[in-house]
Amino acid sequence: MNFCSKFTSVATLAFVATTGATVVAAETTLEIVKERGNVRCQVGPPSPGYYNLDSEGNWYGLDVAVCQAVAAAVFGSKDALEIQSVSSQARFTALANGESDLLSRTATWTMTRDTQLGIDFLSPNFYDGQGFTVRVDSGITSAMELGGAKVCVTTGTTTELNLTDFSRSNDLGISNVTFEDYNVRDDTYLNGGCDAVTGDKSSMAGNIASFPVPGDHMILPETLSKEPLAAAVRHGDSQWRDVVQWSIFALVNAEELGITKANVDDMRSTSKNPNVLRMLGAEGNLHEGLGLDKDWAYNIIKNVGNYGEIYEAYMGGGEQGIGIERAGSLNALWTDGGLMYSPPMR
Amino acid sequence: MAIVNTNKTPDRAAPISETSMLGWLRRNMFSSVFNTLLTLSMAYIIYLSVKGILVWGLFDATFVADNRRECYDNSLTGACWAGVIDWLDNIFYGRYPRDEIWRINAGGLLLVLWMLPMWLPRVRGKVLIGATVVVFYPFLAGYMFSGGEMGLFIQIMASGAIASFVIIVANALVGLTKDVGLDTFVLEALGKTKAPDKTQRNLLIVLAVALFVVANLWVSTWALEGVSWTKWGGLFLTLVISGIGIASSLPGGILLALGRRSELPVVRVLSTGFIEVFRSVPLITVLFMATTMFPLFMPEGFVLNKLTQVIIAVILFNACYMAEIVRAGLQAIPKGQFEGAHTIGLGYWGTMGLIVMPQALKHMIPNIVGNLIGLLKDTTLVSIIGLFDLLGMLRSISKDVPWLGLHKEPLIFGAFLFFIICFSMSKYSRHLEVKLSAGEKH
Repeated sequence: MNFCSKFTSVATLAFVATTGATVVAAETTLEIVKERGNVRCQVGPPSPGYYNLDSEGNWYGLDVAVCQAVAAAVFGSKDALEIQSVSSQARFTALANGESDLLSRTATWTMTRDTQLGIDFLSPNFYDGQGFTVRVDSGITSAMELGGAKVCVTTGTTTELNLTDFSRSNDLGISNVTFEDYNVRDDTYLNGGCDAVTGDKSSMAGNIASFPVPGDHMILPETLSKEPLAAAVRHGDSQWRDVVQWSIFALVNAEELGITKANVDDMRSTSKNPNVLRMLGAEGNLHEGLGLDKDWAYNIIKNVGNYGEIYEAYMGGGEQGIGIERAGSLNALWTDGGLMYSPPMR
Repeated sequence: MAIVNTNKTPDRAAPISETSMLGWLRRNMFSSVFNTLLTLSMAYIIYLSVKGILVWGLFDATFVADNRRECYDNSLTGACWAGVIDWLDNIFYGRYPRDEIWRINAGGLLLVLWMLPMWLPRVRGKVLIGATVVVFYPFLAGYMFSGGEMGLFIQIMASGAIASFVIIVANALVGLTKDVGLDTFVLEALGKTKAPDKTQRNLLIVLAVALFVVANLWVSTWALEGVSWTKWGGLFLTLVISGIGIASSLPGGILLALGRRSELPVVRVLSTGFIEVFRSVPLITVLFMATTMFPLFMPEGFVLNKLTQVIIAVILFNACYMAEIVRAGLQAIPKGQFEGAHTIGLGYWGTMGLIVMPQALKHMIPNIVGNLIGLLKDTTLVSIIGLFDLLGMLRSISKDVPWLGLHKEPLIFGAFLFFIICFSMSKYSRHLEVKLSAGEKH
């Protein structure tokens, strides 16, 4: 017994000593990233619109563009990047244990995650919400008309919980038909196995576009849940947090100021707008606080474009886009009535 | 006056009902009303399903299209193989840079050419072939696949690999054409067959060293572009993981099985504990432990890449199953064999290596191959922890925007690939069994 307690205390001391030593030796994330020469950005298993592989083996998507923006800000090139695809069970662990520098993957910003998992969420880069898809010929025009309907849903996510809550609070008696894989869920719906599908509206819009006859299906107006999708970093490293946060803001701010991938060079040399000049590093010293080069924001726009361009390419009507209407949605700029808003860069 | 006809009645042809197709059909398919009905209804079901499969998969299918919408425009009821065809590079090689794919092909071809002589008749020195593959090939292949800076050790091993590969191929060619070993052939060509043994041996060594030096000079000029393991994927990654797993889990399993039957208590307890712990946990748990928990236990800055972690996990996991198969095989060997080996003066390793293992392994072949096939299929689990193996790639097709939702065709294609690989493994094991005549009793 005595021996045991002695042993334990010695072990504890040794543990404290070693961890103490590592804390002293630890560098900031920005230093580690610069030393390594690339940003390790975590995404999930491919998900349309956000992060996908193309047939050449390259990553593309909205969240991938955020990764590329951070890489461009730090290194001046969007290719100084290692994309890590991590399953959703391991996503926060992989960020916490230092495997990933940042997480940019359709993670909903919730209070529990932000306060209890040792991670910090940044401002959302996409506002999503859960909704229903129905067949046009079913005559259903509102989710309130779904009484007694069979609804296909993927299991193990908050989607299922939201559906149950919605059904209970509105006394609709919806019966859940659950699936592991959303491809199977959609096949079942298409073959008449259920009356409606529920899921995040953005991904459902993409899925409908892939149905044999997209015009036969529609998304109901109701939104069941708030899904602000945001990037996240480890808690406690404010400098790195600033770098990632302002890289994302730079995307939005550039759109607001009308800076695009194509005109960024012109804007830097000919613009008379002090906001533009400050942001692109032609004037002032915004970069100093971030510990980056003067060109950090210029490099972001030059490499990946502004938020509007990214949205159009991957979420909107671009060749690799899943065709979600932006105008009138929460993802429009604040000047157009949306929620995309960057604090002033000055 | 014979009443018995002593002349042999001439042979008559067998009645048509016994030999013709019709007779066979009548006996087996239409012997009663019930059987006739059964046959007809089954034939109809088979016709329907085969027709359905052919119409969907072949006649109505689209093979050339730029995206899924074009497939739909072509036919709403047929398969869309165009997506699978568009993704073939990803499916086979993962995200490996497209200009460097030849390295994977060359590495694979090298292995096939290297191993092929083992199965050819009249080729000498088959043990040497196996030994050089195990010792040298992994280093050469490792460098070819990952490229980058070449350390001195890798350079030496790669040169050794090239030199031994040249020797193996030359040996195989000489064996096939002249039916002699390479050493005899070289000595004959140099007219040194009559020289003393020692001179002959020295001469061969000098030649081998010269070959090694030439290979080393060539290898030192190599400068292959570095390709990070994160770009490995598809069938290539599946084969790398399962290949290393297969090659290492068998020896590992043998050692563990011997350990478990050992008379040394520490070795026995450790082996038993190890086997029981790893066998009682699902593979996916081991994989998660290896990839997410392991880095937490390690000091900061200690980085073992995920692929290595996964491969080690797969090896440890399968070595335990293999150990139990080997132990079962060992237990089937009668005690007399051990005693016999002892009486002729063999020690522990002699008994095991020369007497017991060769007999035991023969009996274990079906189980071992069954386990190896299982290992190959189990590697698909790595797609869950974020590696893009064959299954991971196939599932990603349905998420790529041009092919959104295309998930049946890739999975069918994957099933087809897996069937080819597993069925050939199974066929080969049958062949081995027959060859080693362990299958006599079935």
